[in-house]
Amino acid sequence: MRTARVGAAAAPALLGLLLGALALGPALGPGFVLRYDMVFVPDPPLTLPGQGFPRAVPSDLVVALLSQIAPAQAVQKAILLGIFVLAASGAAALVPTGRLGPRLAAAAFYAWNAYLAQRLLLGQWALLLGVAGLPWAVRAASLGGRLRLAVALLPAAVGGFQAILVSAVAVLATAATAPCAAAARVRRAAEAALILGGLSLPWLIPALLSEATTDPEGVDAFAARADGPFGVLGSLLGLGGIWNAHATVPGQGSWWSAGVRLVLAAVAVWGFVRLRARTRRPPAGGRDRDAPPYWTGLAVAAGAGLAIACLGAFAPGAMKVLIGWWPGFGPLRDGQLHLASFALLQAVGLGGVVMGGVMDGAVDRAPGSPAGPVPGTRAVAAVAAVAAAVPVLVLPAFAMGAFGRLAAVDYPDEWRRVQAIVNADPAPGALLSLPWGAHRAFGWNGGRVILDPASKLFARRVIWNDELLVGLPGGGRIAVAAEDPLVTRVGAVLRGRPDERAEALAGLGVRYVLVHMSDNAFHGGVMLFQGRELRLLRLDDRR
Amino acid sequence: MIRVLAALAVGAVLAVGASVAVVNVAAPTPEPPNRPLYNYGDK
Repeated sequence: MRTARVGAAAAPALLGLLLGALALGPALGPGFVLRYDMVFVPDPPLTLPGQGFPRAVPSDLVVALLSQIAPAQAVQKAILLGIFVLAASGAAALVPTGRLGPRLAAAAFYAWNAYLAQRLLLGQWALLLGVAGLPWAVRAASLGGRLRLAVALLPAAVGGFQAILVSAVAVLATAATAPCAAAARVRRAAEAALILGGLSLPWLIPALLSEATTDPEGVDAFAARADGPFGVLGSLLGLGGIWNAHATVPGQGSWWSAGVRLVLAAVAVWGFVRLRARTRRPPAGGRDRDAPPYWTGLAVAAGAGLAIACLGAFAPGAMKVLIGWWPGFGPLRDGQLHLASFALLQAVGLGGVVMGGVMDGAVDRAPGSPAGPVPGTRAVAAVAAVAAAVPVLVLPAFAMGAFGRLAAVDYPDEWRRVQAIVNADPAPGALLSLPWGAHRAFGWNGGRVILDPASKLFARRVIWNDELLVGLPGGGRIAVAAEDPLVTRVGAVLRGRPDERAEALAGLGVRYVLVHMSDNAFHGGVMLFQGRELRLLRLDDRR
Repeated sequence: MIRVLAALAVGAVLAVGASVAVVNVAAPTPEPPNRPLYNYGDK
């Protein structure tokens, strides 16, 4: 009996592990998974945040620390699998029943949906840490307890600013609407705000100290976009709508995929509403129940997330005004990101549908109530299996690393050699990475686009162009200005006279220039390394 | 029993749809090179 209980408790986590293995597929082989923002490097250096906006703080530092005790590629795979396990087990924990079927349905949905898939294909593993921990944070906020909440928010704290932001709304709303006395609600919300603030300090302080700016043009660039036949709103309701065309799951935009996701979303929302309605109208023969203590808070957070996602798409002017007024509103530009709570709402709702369907009456029947039709074990198992399989069947192309979009590769040896040369040099000075663009598409990485790995490879300031160019449906493009002021100055030097560049860069504190062979525009300095792909130059310090 | 049959029917329909979707993406065209930007799509 005890073994069965332990098995039932661990089943959602095991399902998450299974779904993680299925989704990552080839990415779990030897090597690093490199795609867009997901850049892990061998032997990552222990460095403090640079002067730009601290986007990878403290996530990169935590990875560097963990890489002291395990290979970096093993750390990456553990994190990626951990996201699925944490997400599935957390969603299951929010379903107000001990029955396995509804819990597995919620677990499967939250670990396998368009939102998670798209963010993973955009490489935003740090954000997904917060998304995976979100159900645990909501649960902790509804139950109360400072230590419980702080522990539940740890994944988000590791993830950094985006992870904390998606958690904060849900946690604060849940704490402020928990079913307890008004004074207790105020106290809980204040405590939650303090904990969130404390866990945000690692990125908040560098952000406030940095001279980073936020370009309002990013509102148009990062606004939610339609990825199917049902427009922006239909995409968002189906948890799609990410701005990046390359971050969609293959086939996601088809009528079949978009339609089924939309139907599933409607069913799930109905299930969530029904969790509340059942409290006012308990099932015949069943006992009266309270709504889940997180119900109102999660509904508020999901509504707010959906509203933010819609704001950038349907009222970009308002968003630009906000960002122009205070750059701190910058994180709202990527509105689709804030759908995490809505995804969780749908997951719990799907669990509620299964709970209220075949298992109705058998689940929460009050002791001594009249006997009614009780579904057989096989019937319950069949419905549970279908419910757990539905999310996978709705988005099947997420499997096997989204059919090759995620895969493990190894860095060519010359990357490690260049890293060793630079990191062995105790002399100060920054490293400039060329060509002057944020992203690379290496042949050895299957042409997958990644953020320049040089930005994470060296134990010194790395200057790279953080300006983003984003394509538009009409064929145009938007340039989202660089956030780091030094990048702007270096960019001006690179546009200047070629024979003066080396001296001017040295004057700006640049000691090394790392040049990919696709760029042969830079000359000057002392050649330290020349490989098939990389060239490393050292500039004389003439300051 | 009707609910069980309905659930199984839904599962069967989804399984057929999923199979078709997988077959359609099993031989994917190469990812667009996104050449001038090394960057983002234009949906």
